[in-house]
Amino acid sequence: MTATPLLDATAIAKSFGTVVALRSASLRVEPGEIHALLGANGAGKSTLVKILSGVHRPDSGEIMVHGEEYEVRTPRVAGEAGLGTVFQDPALIPDLTVRENLRLTDLSPDEVGTWLEHMDLRSVDFDSLIRDLPLPTLRLLDLARVLTRGPSLLMLDEITAALTADQAEQVFKVMNEWKDRGNSVLFITHRLGEVMRMCDRATVLRDGRDVEVCIPREVGEGGLVEAMLGEVVKATPEGSAPVERLTEAPIALEAIDLSSSDKVRGVSFQLRAGEVLGVAALEGQGQDRLFEILSGSRRPDGGQMRLADGEVLDARSPYDAVRKGVVLVPSDRLQALLPKRPIRENLTTPLYNRIGKWFGLAGDEKTRVDSAVERLSIDIRAGKQAGRLSGGNQQKVVVGRWLASGFRVLLCFDPTRGIDVKTKQQIYELLRELADDGAAVLLYTSELAEIPLVCDRALVMYDGELVDELPAEDATEQALLTAAHGISEEVA
Amino acid sequence: MTTASIDVERGVDWGSLLRRYGWTTGVWLLLIALIAFYASTIPSFGSFQIASIAKNSLPLVYLAIAQAVIVVAGGIDLAVGSMLIFSNAVAAQLMDGQSLGVSLMVAILVILMAAAINGGVGWIIYVSKVPDIVVTLATLFIIAGFALIVLPSPGGGTSEGFRAIFTGSTSGTGSNFWPALVMMFVPMLAAARWMKRSRTGLSLYATGSDATAAYLSGVSTLRAKVVSYGVGGAFAALGGLASLAITGSGESRFATASNFTLRSVAAIVLGGVALTGGVGSVVGAAAAGIVLFVLSPVLSAMGVDPNTAQVIQGALIVLVMMVAGVVELRRERAE
Repeated sequence: MTATPLLDATAIAKSFGTVVALRSASLRVEPGEIHALLGANGAGKSTLVKILSGVHRPDSGEIMVHGEEYEVRTPRVAGEAGLGTVFQDPALIPDLTVRENLRLTDLSPDEVGTWLEHMDLRSVDFDSLIRDLPLPTLRLLDLARVLTRGPSLLMLDEITAALTADQAEQVFKVMNEWKDRGNSVLFITHRLGEVMRMCDRATVLRDGRDVEVCIPREVGEGGLVEAMLGEVVKATPEGSAPVERLTEAPIALEAIDLSSSDKVRGVSFQLRAGEVLGVAALEGQGQDRLFEILSGSRRPDGGQMRLADGEVLDARSPYDAVRKGVVLVPSDRLQALLPKRPIRENLTTPLYNRIGKWFGLAGDEKTRVDSAVERLSIDIRAGKQAGRLSGGNQQKVVVGRWLASGFRVLLCFDPTRGIDVKTKQQIYELLRELADDGAAVLLYTSELAEIPLVCDRALVMYDGELVDELPAEDATEQALLTAAHGISEEVA
Repeated sequence: MTTASIDVERGVDWGSLLRRYGWTTGVWLLLIALIAFYASTIPSFGSFQIASIAKNSLPLVYLAIAQAVIVVAGGIDLAVGSMLIFSNAVAAQLMDGQSLGVSLMVAILVILMAAAINGGVGWIIYVSKVPDIVVTLATLFIIAGFALIVLPSPGGGTSEGFRAIFTGSTSGTGSNFWPALVMMFVPMLAAARWMKRSRTGLSLYATGSDATAAYLSGVSTLRAKVVSYGVGGAFAALGGLASLAITGSGESRFATASNFTLRSVAAIVLGGVALTGGVGSVVGAAAAGIVLFVLSPVLSAMGVDPNTAQVIQGALIVLVMMVAGVVELRRERAE
């Protein structure tokens, strides 16, 4: 390893507004190696790849390619420097045909077709629109397009996430061939089995820093998981409700064999009043779709939802779900709020339906809002516009408006994304409190460490299915992460 | 993906072709049906009527193409009507009493000028990040104002030869429909081919369809914006020149500008161009421009009151959109 590294990025930092994506990340890729870039959700992997491919510009840090300093200004410049990227979302134009997409990027359809054939994908009609092609085909097409350019460093951001096992095999074959030609591959994946099998070295990111460079075969999957998690967060003693209460409590929401294309497959669970049920999953395992269905944004292809007393919930829109007391707290707070309107008005939004009288707000309006504000200790002096509140306070307003309107089932989709530790704690205490008062809470969080702190039980979702259920005391971060990687199922 | 490894060679997929070009084909069929109906209602239908329809719909056809190019690339230009009257006014002032040769030189200069101005507008939109509709609402008034400054009252003129290029006769009226048809189809097909075949043209579709994916593919979205507005400006100028050739003198009323702008938007919507960008073709938009023009004589031939005719024009747009929506919904269900 004394030769000049192919890529040498040092102390890369990048912030988006107040959100720090990368603090100081370094990455060194040698010629002729397959290098894994690992890290938990939000560790900064995708940001680093986007910086290397010229999508974002770093705030500070230095990038050397083949020993020469290099300023990657646009994706085009990155391509010319021999850095080729297959992004998480295929960079193909949906309204153009395959052929037109290739002409747009000045590539020969024959060469791309040769790569596709090499990957055993022969059924692609080059005259069909991109939007009509299935996602796995688009991934492989994007890969073929990048390979045609002959990059010396091939960067693959979660390429296997949407692929079937045999398609993934084709990608692995190409990766090995690419390495044998003296080129390198930077491989990002959540599937540790793939890392063990394919990668020569791995760089682990945590909280925007590179914390470890190791050889996967030496440290093993356990070692990789440990490096990704870092120090174990200390569990607070307060929390879980007594287990015996759970089985007695009535069911608040029951999902029976829910399915939606191949994103959600046969999901069944029971959520009881008074419990916080956690959902653990890596990105893109169908949890988004599941919450869309539960909250009434999307109708399932199959299956059923039932409320307390077996009443069937057949929501055509969130409006129907909300009326039945099933409400959602999304991760994108601005999606739920009216950012330019005052806080008080935001808190009363769900009550608008009640203004049946049309003359002013219902009489108990003010008391309801006041009690919500007080209970959540929302800092209402902070601004007239909800959009000016801090992320944590915004999220409190989102929860608060459901408090003001009343609910039975609270669906929380990653409610603490990008929120500081103290407010996180407050939100968790609030969820616990709500559950103790008899509400049923379904909580998906991308931070697995939170699940044992807040939840009574945890479900693990992988590839559209519920693969595991753990009681709170067994739902350690390690156990969840292992299950969430689908490792017990992995053949390799 | 159970279909890996089926036949490599395959015939023309008519289903997918029809789906891609179905709307455009539909609008042309609607146009043909309208003209056939028109022909059956009036006592005599011949080359004079064809020439009349062809030449008089030219300004709106050019404007529909201009709007289509811009909207496909993800923008919208409310000022195309102003650019039309501005080009009309400048050309009428400069061509008045001149020879055909001078008129042609002026025409080329006017087109280049309009392209440059509108390209600049596109650049301003990109750099300032102010929405297209806001910037071009402002330029709608500004450019119309300049048109009035150039030509305060109707007047000016052009050479007889120049009138014949667009209308087929030196007086502006006659039975020779070939020049008007050539002036309609050549620019239209050239624009269509450029949009679908050249890398720059495709980059307009790419930017309008998914600007992020386009950027990641190495497309310059700035260039796409400037080029789309520039080409749009050029076509708007062609519209101004055509109306000068038809009437033989210039006029720069603001009402004409705003009316033309609104009709250009109606034409692209009817012509299958998605206002969200990335979808549609100039060929469909051009056909819809003729449909909107032909509709008034057809309705008056049917004895419909002109005020009611306005209502019917609007209803037609809604009807076509609804039919298209139902077709699309059925297709999605079927898949």
